[in-house]
Amino acid sequence: MSHTDHILVVDDDRDIRQMVGDYLRKNGLRVSLAADGREMKAALDTSDVDLVVLDVMMPGEDGLSLCRNLRAGKHRAVPVVLLTARDDETDRIIGLEMGADDYVTKPFSSRELLARINAVIRRTRMLPPNLQVSEAARLIAFGQWRLDTSARHLLDEDGTAYPLSGAEFRLLRVFVDHPQRVLSRDQLLNLTQGRDAELFDRSIDLLVSRLRQRLGDAAKEQAYIKTVRSEGYVFCQPVVLVGDPA
Amino acid sequence: MSTLALPRRWHWLPRTLGMRLLLILAAGLLLAHALSFALLFYERAMATRGMMLAGMAQDVPLSVALLERLSPAERVEWLPQLQRRTYRYLLRPALPGTPLASDRARQVTALIDRSLGYRYALRPRAVSASPERYEVELTLADGQPLTLEVTPSLLPIARWLPWVLAAQVALLLACVWLAVRLATRPLAQLASAAERLDPAGGSIAMAQDGPLEVAQAARALNALQARVSAHVAERMQILAAISHDLQTPITRLRLRLEALDESEVQARLLDDVGQLGQLVREGIQYARSANVALGPAVRLDLPAFLGSLVDDYQDMGKPVQLGELAQVALQAHPQVLRRIVQNLVDNALAYAGSAEAGVRVEAGGRVCIDVLDRGPGIPEAALAAVLQPFHRLETSRGRETGGTGLGLAIAQQLTQALGGRLRLANRTDGGLRVTVELEAAQATPPGAV
Repeated sequence: MSHTDHILVVDDDRDIRQMVGDYLRKNGLRVSLAADGREMKAALDTSDVDLVVLDVMMPGEDGLSLCRNLRAGKHRAVPVVLLTARDDETDRIIGLEMGADDYVTKPFSSRELLARINAVIRRTRMLPPNLQVSEAARLIAFGQWRLDTSARHLLDEDGTAYPLSGAEFRLLRVFVDHPQRVLSRDQLLNLTQGRDAELFDRSIDLLVSRLRQRLGDAAKEQAYIKTVRSEGYVFCQPVVLVGDPA
Repeated sequence: MSTLALPRRWHWLPRTLGMRLLLILAAGLLLAHALSFALLFYERAMATRGMMLAGMAQDVPLSVALLERLSPAERVEWLPQLQRRTYRYLLRPALPGTPLASDRARQVTALIDRSLGYRYALRPRAVSASPERYEVELTLADGQPLTLEVTPSLLPIARWLPWVLAAQVALLLACVWLAVRLATRPLAQLASAAERLDPAGGSIAMAQDGPLEVAQAARALNALQARVSAHVAERMQILAAISHDLQTPITRLRLRLEALDESEVQARLLDDVGQLGQLVREGIQYARSANVALGPAVRLDLPAFLGSLVDDYQDMGKPVQLGELAQVALQAHPQVLRRIVQNLVDNALAYAGSAEAGVRVEAGGRVCIDVLDRGPGIPEAALAAVLQPFHRLETSRGRETGGTGLGLAIAQQLTQALGGRLRLANRTDGGLRVTVELEAAQATPPGAV
């Protein structure tokens, strides 16, 4: 392993910043620390950063607006993990809409944070996001469905919402982000690995069949997800980005 | 001593203020009306009688003198012309009746006697009592009997008079009804507004128009609501602020503990910090649940909603099952509803070890989301109390279950924010049933393809 991932930790609390840094260093990562948005920008400009850990509640410019600005600037490809104070659905949605890749709720454990960091890095490494789709569109349309990426549910043609479980959503998201592209079971397993290692004893095949059921996709027709023998699966519907659901 | 309750004998009175006012006003007006009509009729009777008596005193001696001069044959021809409205002359003896009964008849007889100068012997007989009719017989100079038949009566009443009377009464009643309505309707509006008053401040202020008194009451009520809302909001803000500021030190504490060498003490301390963190998190949630930002509502397919929620639990290895699933969709706020059901399932998992979630449509169309468990249940007496924040049962549900005592309170607040109701009941065959009851108006029956 020649490359050591470089993590930038941005938090206004000195103790938290340093303790997180110590822990990540101990686990083989390279770490830079920043106390506010100014220091963060300076660090991003002077060195290659692989991932930013960003506290939301900071005096001055808060983490959400820093995250949004980051996505609009030249460092838009750097993944971001937010440290949020509230684990409210709406906050999660706002965070993800601002372009964060994942979030950890305070008070968090360092092990949990490390797991999220590794998962996000693995995800971006393994399969660079299809840029056309990942531009934070709220609604993605395919076949007779629209996927609301903030609320995490499917909308049918009448506008009735069919919520997805976390694992189903992540799998579908990977599929619609990479349509017409064969994805191996290994790739899918890694990309859909969520928090708490939910898919511990569930195979990808089972998850795919569950997702097909949600989509009303008969296993014989395979109008949405096709099985590619000995290779994996491919999402075979054309995908269109729609504006806001409102 | 209660002076508010009516004494027993008033219990037949209608219960509503409107009906009581209507009754009192209508009775008073009708009575006054009846009295004035009685007075009118009395006056009229007196006047009529005075006129009759005065006429008779002049008319009777003239007629008798005339008849005395005519021959018996001519008398017959003249009789119709001598006839008046209340009396007429007949050339026959009086009918065999009874002696006069009424004072008035005796007065009239005496008047006739006086006007004739007491020259005739009068034989008055009452013929019929009702309608009153009496005859006064006298004998003319030539021996022919002459009878004066008196039928006292009032001047006839015009045919339209009863109709006018009825119209008047109807008009009065209509006015009374209108006045009562005017007076009581703002009261009813005030009452319903006070009922809708939401301490969290979500309800709309009352309209401060209408009659002066009502406007004043509305203003007072609005001010009261504003004060209550400010109070609640302040309390919630304090709770949120404290909880929020606790998060940074707790995070520090946790990170420091994790940096220590692993030991039994460290594990216990981490456990404590974990509980502290949960308490803070739920404190914030509770503080915010009072006026949660609902966001836009969508038509939500409930079986899919519960299915995804249960899948999430199963993916984490938690024993949560799907129960009865009625095919129903309704307008809802999925995030808030998810938080409610998650809290209920977490509660069931903490106290019973497993949970079952389902949805059914009750008679009457209410949509009910049930979370069932097979735990020890809750003593009937404590069913309402467990919805209070920070309430925990002292018995088997101890500290080791790790609950903060806020989960159900949050669920209830959020359910109310959605316009629904949270119901707790022990199952007959053991365990607890928590039901989220939602407005049926927005539900739609199955059939959407």
